[in-house]
Amino acid sequence: MINQLLLLTIFLPLIGAVLLALFGRASRESARLLALCVALLTLWCASQLIFNFPPTGELTAGFAVTDIPWLSAVAQTGLDIRFSVGLDGLGLWMFGLTALLFVTAVLISWEAIQERAPLFYAMLLLLEFGCLGVFTARDIILFYIFFELTLIPLFFLIGIWGSEERRYAAIKFFLFTLSGSLLTFLGLLAVVIWDYQHSGTGLLRFSIAGLTESLQQHPLPVNLQLLLFAALFAGFAIKVPLFPLHTWLPLAHVQAPAAGSVILAGVLLKIGVYGFLRFSLPMLPQATAICMPWMLWLAVAGIVYGALVALAQSDLKKLIAYSSVSHLGFCMLGLFALNPTGVQGSVLQMVNHGISTGGLFAIVGMIYDRYHTRQIADLGGLARRAPWLAFFMVLFTFSSIGVPGLNGFAGEFLILLGMFQRAWAEAPAALATQYVVIAVLATSGVVLGAWYMLWLVQRVFFGPLKEPHTTGHNDHVSDLSLREILALAPLAVFIVWIGLRPNDFLSRMGPSLEAARRPAAQIVDQARSAPALAREPINSLENVARAR
Amino acid sequence: MNERITYCLILIPALPLLAAVIVAVLGPKLLRSLSHIPVILGLAGASVCSLILVAEVLREQDSLPTDREKAGFEQVVTLWTWANVPDAYNLPGDGATLPPHASRDVGWRDFRIDISLRADALTAMMLGMVTFVATLVAVFAAGYMEGDRGYWRFFAYIGLFVFSMTMLVSVSNFLLLFVFWEAVGVCSYLLIGFWYEKPEAAAAGKKAFLVNRVGDFAFTVAMFLIWCTYGTLNYHDSLADGTTDPQRVVAATADSPPEQKLIRGVLGQDRILAGDYKTGWLATAICLLLLLGACGKSAQFPLHVWLPDAMEGPTPVSALIHAATMVTAGVYMVARCTPLFAASPTAQLVVAITGGFTALLAGLIALTQFDLKRILAYSTISQLGYMFLALGAGTVLGVTGGMFHLFTHAFFKALLFLGAGSVMHAMGGIIDIRQFGGLRRLMPWTHATFLIGCLALSGVFPLAGFWSKDTVLAAVHHNAIEHELERRVGSHPGHPDAEPAAPGPLAGWTAEQLATARLIYEVLYYGALFTSFLTALYTFRAFCLTFYGQERIPDQAGHHAHESPPLMVAPLAVLAVCSIFVGMAFVAWSGSWGGNILANFLEGAPSLAAGAIATTKTPPEFHLDIAGYSTLVALAGILSAMFLYMGGTKEATVLKRLFDLQGADRLTDPEWIAGLERIPWISATTKFLRSIYLGWVVTLVGYALGAGSLVLAIPLLVGQFISPYKLSQNKFYFDEIYAALVVWPLSILASICYWIDRWIVDGLVNAAGMVPAAIGSLMRSLQMGLVQFYALAMVLGALVLVAARLIWAAG
Repeated sequence: MINQLLLLTIFLPLIGAVLLALFGRASRESARLLALCVALLTLWCASQLIFNFPPTGELTAGFAVTDIPWLSAVAQTGLDIRFSVGLDGLGLWMFGLTALLFVTAVLISWEAIQERAPLFYAMLLLLEFGCLGVFTARDIILFYIFFELTLIPLFFLIGIWGSEERRYAAIKFFLFTLSGSLLTFLGLLAVVIWDYQHSGTGLLRFSIAGLTESLQQHPLPVNLQLLLFAALFAGFAIKVPLFPLHTWLPLAHVQAPAAGSVILAGVLLKIGVYGFLRFSLPMLPQATAICMPWMLWLAVAGIVYGALVALAQSDLKKLIAYSSVSHLGFCMLGLFALNPTGVQGSVLQMVNHGISTGGLFAIVGMIYDRYHTRQIADLGGLARRAPWLAFFMVLFTFSSIGVPGLNGFAGEFLILLGMFQRAWAEAPAALATQYVVIAVLATSGVVLGAWYMLWLVQRVFFGPLKEPHTTGHNDHVSDLSLREILALAPLAVFIVWIGLRPNDFLSRMGPSLEAARRPAAQIVDQARSAPALAREPINSLENVARAR
Repeated sequence: MNERITYCLILIPALPLLAAVIVAVLGPKLLRSLSHIPVILGLAGASVCSLILVAEVLREQDSLPTDREKAGFEQVVTLWTWANVPDAYNLPGDGATLPPHASRDVGWRDFRIDISLRADALTAMMLGMVTFVATLVAVFAAGYMEGDRGYWRFFAYIGLFVFSMTMLVSVSNFLLLFVFWEAVGVCSYLLIGFWYEKPEAAAAGKKAFLVNRVGDFAFTVAMFLIWCTYGTLNYHDSLADGTTDPQRVVAATADSPPEQKLIRGVLGQDRILAGDYKTGWLATAICLLLLLGACGKSAQFPLHVWLPDAMEGPTPVSALIHAATMVTAGVYMVARCTPLFAASPTAQLVVAITGGFTALLAGLIALTQFDLKRILAYSTISQLGYMFLALGAGTVLGVTGGMFHLFTHAFFKALLFLGAGSVMHAMGGIIDIRQFGGLRRLMPWTHATFLIGCLALSGVFPLAGFWSKDTVLAAVHHNAIEHELERRVGSHPGHPDAEPAAPGPLAGWTAEQLATARLIYEVLYYGALFTSFLTALYTFRAFCLTFYGQERIPDQAGHHAHESPPLMVAPLAVLAVCSIFVGMAFVAWSGSWGGNILANFLEGAPSLAAGAIATTKTPPEFHLDIAGYSTLVALAGILSAMFLYMGGTKEATVLKRLFDLQGADRLTDPEWIAGLERIPWISATTKFLRSIYLGWVVTLVGYALGAGSLVLAIPLLVGQFISPYKLSQNKFYFDEIYAALVVWPLSILASICYWIDRWIVDGLVNAAGMVPAAIGSLMRSLQMGLVQFYALAMVLGALVLVAARLIWAAG
């Protein structure tokens, strides 16, 4: 029953998209109504799944699993591609977040999208289908199909409904992510083939869980692991985006329609972090352990660099886009701290960032709808004109800069605590100093984060009222409509909920994350507890890895 | 478990929060100008609960069984689990140094944060003070904010603030302390920027938040160090499953199952009694980071710059948040962490230096300011410096004295701010003391209560400030003159009370180090006495200029300048009564000169009851000499102020005449240059040259002379900026220095990073992407804009998949 509900949740948006594509001439009003109904229905189904998820997060083999042979010819070639979907602690909250954010995305496109509305909503729902699929797929081929499926609708959303430079942005976004993901796909195929050759089952299997388990019995050789880690890195790091592979992001954000930005920031970037968590950590533990310092440096570089560049922006959307680079740096930092606190904080922060930055992009969209500008210098004192808008802006800003009591703090604190603990008490002697520097730099990123966001709020919302006169009818500019409040309010609820009771969210994902983290963490800990080897950390890790 | 304490602990924050929610929901449409009613009721309710709590804690302290008496009294109430990450950290144990019963303390730890509230003497005192002052300020604000557009918003923020502040002092965990530490910061941000249309207000709010963030950064790192060192962030002892019931906690043994294992809190009774604190550089690092955090919130050097700007907020906010309550959070935190600080005498010395230096610095700045509220703000910084100075003495007398000063200061400083608010209200929003004067007849009530506040602040016998300031000075005096440090390690043979050397954190210090420390305390003691003189001087300067001299009222006040309505005068009167009697009553009730019941009460809190600090307990005594000196100094200050400023208008600049280097500013004064033209021979020459069309010669010569004199004038110009008066007037240029050292470099770095991002990072990426881009351009020529084509391609792709499936199945 529950597994059918999951299937229904995933396929509802596809059905909606097909319906909208079939009635391509439908009016804007009916198209958006249909899209809203589908998104709401999907959200309801998703919430039912989440309510039924075991509160302690203890699972035997996934939750709501559907597993049927798909392209499988076990008898002839051993090929075993399955249509296998299910939920576990890794994807649970991203799955829920996806369902939540698409309702917001539909609501903020309500008036903004005037042309070819049915096609727009069809693309949006197709994107939702892809995103829901990515976080539930339990088979590599299926994962990859969904992974690529998220690209195409967003390519159109940016390329058709975007701003002035939409074509350049769409192409850059598409090529960037596609080229990376092809390498990732090759890497994943290599894992499958290696498993086929060495597991002795004679099965060419693509099951993620099966492969993970098998690779822990028969680990890949270290050199191959490093090679495959690099291949996976290509796709996932671009998606995150990890410094210095982030330049497609500000461009795509600035050009995308508001709904596109919300989904891009809220959901799509997380696929990169999710990919590392789902594949790199459990399947390539030795490579993860060896690359850990590099990944941490890249993450912290992203945090500080993203924050500094955000400080220099004059465009609302670009500023928030660069803040995403900074925040995703936190996610990667927590993930590669490889201790329970860091990893749990990282996944929580993925959800937090989705909510707060999704909300911020939605608000920027609302400002754009009113004034047709994104330039900070054109605006000022909007709190006077639109107090509700200002209220939500301040709330999302507080969430984004990690004010305690709201969600951002819970994630950031766990990440930084995890990182600091890794540096102070759990690092090999030779790396300890580096790690402390990383931890302190990352913590200072929080100060910079507060600076650029509060400065933004001060310039746009406080001070004397300043509005661009190009529109000519500023007196008619009104505060948020009920529809817009309804688009933002659910996000606000989760901001407070996660802030006050993060444990409701942590406990459900804890055990799954622990399983994903442990292989790599054990290797790091072994290297540390072997004092003779600790002097040469990289080599020692390799030695330990080889010894296994 | 005392049920009444439990209920009070929950009700005290809950009532203000409830009031805030009611006002936020009903305020804009329904309550409007009645928005103050729920908040005042909520705060009054919380205040009553706080009194009950104080009484209950007092009763519990008296009735402790003798075997637990040493550890003081605390009661912890747990509400829910905020976060729990199982087996997050393997606490390393250096088995050799751990006492046997503590060996059960090491091993795998959960990162477990429970929302837990605590009741002990320290919390009860803070709760009583916060809720009482908040209630009075809310009553005052009901009058002060009348007719403001954001009336309901103001009271919703106030409710939210009092909720956060009461939680701050009653939580029992460092992480939650930090949560509410930031929460009060957010309320402060919102209230400073309350009139957000004023650019200064919006900027001040941001500045306050950011400067505090720098402190919070240090606080965060301190928390990480505490976690890595002690394996918990709880103050209190608990079992691994979160149980805090004292009987079960005490019963835990080494053989208890894992979830029943004892987790000794950082400030837990078990750890304090065992004296099991890390010493050395790690302790110093933790304490200094905590201190930097406290400096942010309590506006101490070097993070003091935000508080004067925060005066852009409404005056009741300045009184409540930026004088009486929020800014004392840092003092509370350091007092709460006394056991940690006791483990590092170096850190204590730094606390004392920070406090003493800030007190002096702020006192000097306050002398020359013209904004009445800013004078009071600097005074607040200065008085908070006194509190840190006392805490830095590192003795029971010091900590209780610091808290005593915190307590009395809350009353008289709130009184002074509300008085300033009353003046501002009458003067139509003008707060510059040069623009009004002689208001004593116009505003008799404000005048009288303000006078009481000034006398209390100056430390005049027998008002509240006298007693607390005396204790602060006495605590420093102990270390400075009476060789307290040497006495504690037994290395001062001449001292009659010399004790055998106790194994404490001080024991490792050499005689030279002890002597240096003593010398520093001595300097601080005389510095504090001088600051006391400054306090009286600047306080009465403001007082005289406001209420004496010729009656002057600015135009903005219109014709209706008047005494404030009873709603605003009543809180002034109540606070004035408190400012007179609080100190006296505490001393009188204790039954001995020099003792006070507040100190006795506080000594029952676990942080002060046992451990290293408890060995510094001294019998209460009244220091006649210190009291005499401080009174003399205060009187001298008051008299000088009256002599200099009592008369009239021009005396506002008397310090300028005394301490500013005259002459240099002429060179930049256009009137003086114009005056040159009036000198006969110069004007005659000029006229003559002009008449023969050689006026350009004059111009040229003028420029040459000007340039020459500028070179000569550079020392004078420099002198202009660093004359004592200018330094004070310009707040020692801290804002400018920070702008030059931090803000500008970071802004430039940000621009450089953005340039790099556009031209180098993206350039490299584009270069690397040449090949795919070329392919892309081929694709583009095929596909651009043809949406139907894409749709077709997708359908075809899907068909291929389905076909493949069918073929596989068939095969």
